[in-house]
Amino acid sequence: MPPVIDREKCTGCGTCAEICPVQVFRHHKDNDKIPEVKFRRECWHCNACVLDCPAGAVSLSVPLPCMLLHVDASTLKPREPRHV
Amino acid sequence: MYSIAQSIDTDVLVMGGGIAGLMAAIASADRGAKVIVAEKANTRRSGSGATGNDHFRCWIPEKHGPDYRVIMNEVLNFSQFGLCHDTVLTRRFLEKSFDIVKMWDAWGIPMRPTGDWEFTGHAFPGRIRSALKYDGAQQKPILTREARKRGAGILNHHAVIELLAEDGEIAGALTLDTSRDEPAFTLIRAKCVVVATGCTTRLYVNKATPGWMFNTAFCPGNAGGGIAQSFRAGAKLVNLELATRHAGPRYFERAGKSTWIGVYKYPDGRTLGPFVSKPTKELGDITSDIWNASFTEVVKNGSGPAYLDCSETSPEDLAYMRWGMKGEGLTALLDYMDREGIDPARHAVEFMQYEPFLIGKGLDVDINGQCSLPGLYAAGDVVGNFRADIGGAAVYGWISGDHAGTSAAGRTLRGSLERHPAVERTLALCADIMKRGERGYAWDEANMAVQQLMSDYAPAGPFEKRSESLLDAGLHYMRALRGKSRAGLGAVCSHTLLRALESLDLMDVGEALMVAARERRESRGPHLRADYTFTNPMLGELFLDVFLREGEIQTEWRKRNMV
Repeated sequence: MPPVIDREKCTGCGTCAEICPVQVFRHHKDNDKIPEVKFRRECWHCNACVLDCPAGAVSLSVPLPCMLLHVDASTLKPREPRHV
Repeated sequence: MYSIAQSIDTDVLVMGGGIAGLMAAIASADRGAKVIVAEKANTRRSGSGATGNDHFRCWIPEKHGPDYRVIMNEVLNFSQFGLCHDTVLTRRFLEKSFDIVKMWDAWGIPMRPTGDWEFTGHAFPGRIRSALKYDGAQQKPILTREARKRGAGILNHHAVIELLAEDGEIAGALTLDTSRDEPAFTLIRAKCVVVATGCTTRLYVNKATPGWMFNTAFCPGNAGGGIAQSFRAGAKLVNLELATRHAGPRYFERAGKSTWIGVYKYPDGRTLGPFVSKPTKELGDITSDIWNASFTEVVKNGSGPAYLDCSETSPEDLAYMRWGMKGEGLTALLDYMDREGIDPARHAVEFMQYEPFLIGKGLDVDINGQCSLPGLYAAGDVVGNFRADIGGAAVYGWISGDHAGTSAAGRTLRGSLERHPAVERTLALCADIMKRGERGYAWDEANMAVQQLMSDYAPAGPFEKRSESLLDAGLHYMRALRGKSRAGLGAVCSHTLLRALESLDLMDVGEALMVAARERRESRGPHLRADYTFTNPMLGELFLDVFLREGEIQTEWRKRNMV
């Protein structure tokens, strides 16, 4: 699932929650100094939180349905016809 | 019932702090206007340019020669976005484009990262190249700094939820503050408003991941608010029915296909398009720009899927591609590929066509960026009669902001807007939605329902067709859905309230699109009519406006504004 915050590294500055373009995070400093990844299905995977976290505490997990389909490039070649 | 927590007066209000919005704010402030930017997220990382872009369309005379028409021809006839232009705007854009490029360069956005103005990608062999390669990774923080430096006020986490017109002119806007869970509302009176809300995503079922609606190539926070609200306030929309489709890697939806340097191929190794057989950074493979339907066609006809093969790209060009992807804001994709061991030197990545969305289809503007509603302007991807993506947003953002900043001096603020009918209506709607809380329909139910109706009743080609009877049915269902949604949506905090309001905006955009699609009785571009399969040359010189008059949706053909 989308952003994952390393609780050990997070300093609670709230940058991720502040700059997320789709407001995936909520930061209730009084309850928990670590922002909550609250609306995870709304993550755009833009990496803004990863890029801007001053402590390097955020990583991104890309959901399975968004897997990048790829093949070994050497397989792109004519195939032998298969006969019934 | 909610009340207004805060009231602000300004000369120019900018709705949306993306590239166009920040450039409008900068230009207005340079004219001495008091400027407020109301931004749904945070201008440092919001919109489709949030973490970067790498191609800026422009005319640089010292590289392209003294005649702008050479580049105009490329934009109109040799690019992926030439379909819907009033060419007087295209000319104005090109004439101003180098000034804006130099401005960005001076502010520290690397516009010539290799030392000289360099045009690579989005290119045909043997033709002049017009897409300036730049490094936009820090463009949003830099534009934010420049807007602030000029005194523009930036209200982050303040989404405009209703534009307010009075006596047929723009008067201001109501915003929802989502910085805390409890919704709060700010009323902004403005002499001029610049709508810069970007493209419209989340309107159609996501083609890559139907169950994951925020997996979009362009920013999924862009949900048609500027289009729907301007329409409700009385402004004309144009070319809405010509919704387009983008392409990119399957299933991780991303823009930036021309940042890749490779050749599109069939599974048997034949090249897909006729343009290149060897990959080079100068050209890329333009096939995906001008024939992106090919990715769907090869699947439908059994010869696919289609892959982008970078395995014959030189090590130098692969390094250039990786650098370009960082500038384009594709670091999430790069990190993912690194983690998964996907190496462009060895692996071919499948490409696909994404779902329809609105980019360069929307508000009808004049040469200064003014809409049909006096005092209202629009710039960037939200405009319907001009499109040039990043360059277009930057240049026309500046032009519209410059004009708004100047003309605001001759306009006056309206009286109190607290009792404006649209304010009272919107606050009551918000109160009802919050009161229903978890008992109401969740916003994503409403959003998914819009997407189903749009994809089934107003699809975009290739292969998928529209017709009079399908659109009639779709309109009937969309109106029923809006009725049910308005009466039944629930939200538990400011964030889900905003999403609920976005879903209602998407219904208005969808309805207007369907009415326009019904009126366009021909097939053109991605608008395929099963009942009118031909392209009518008589409509080639016309654009179709759609607008509200006394509560009824009207359409009107107008002449294109050609140079």
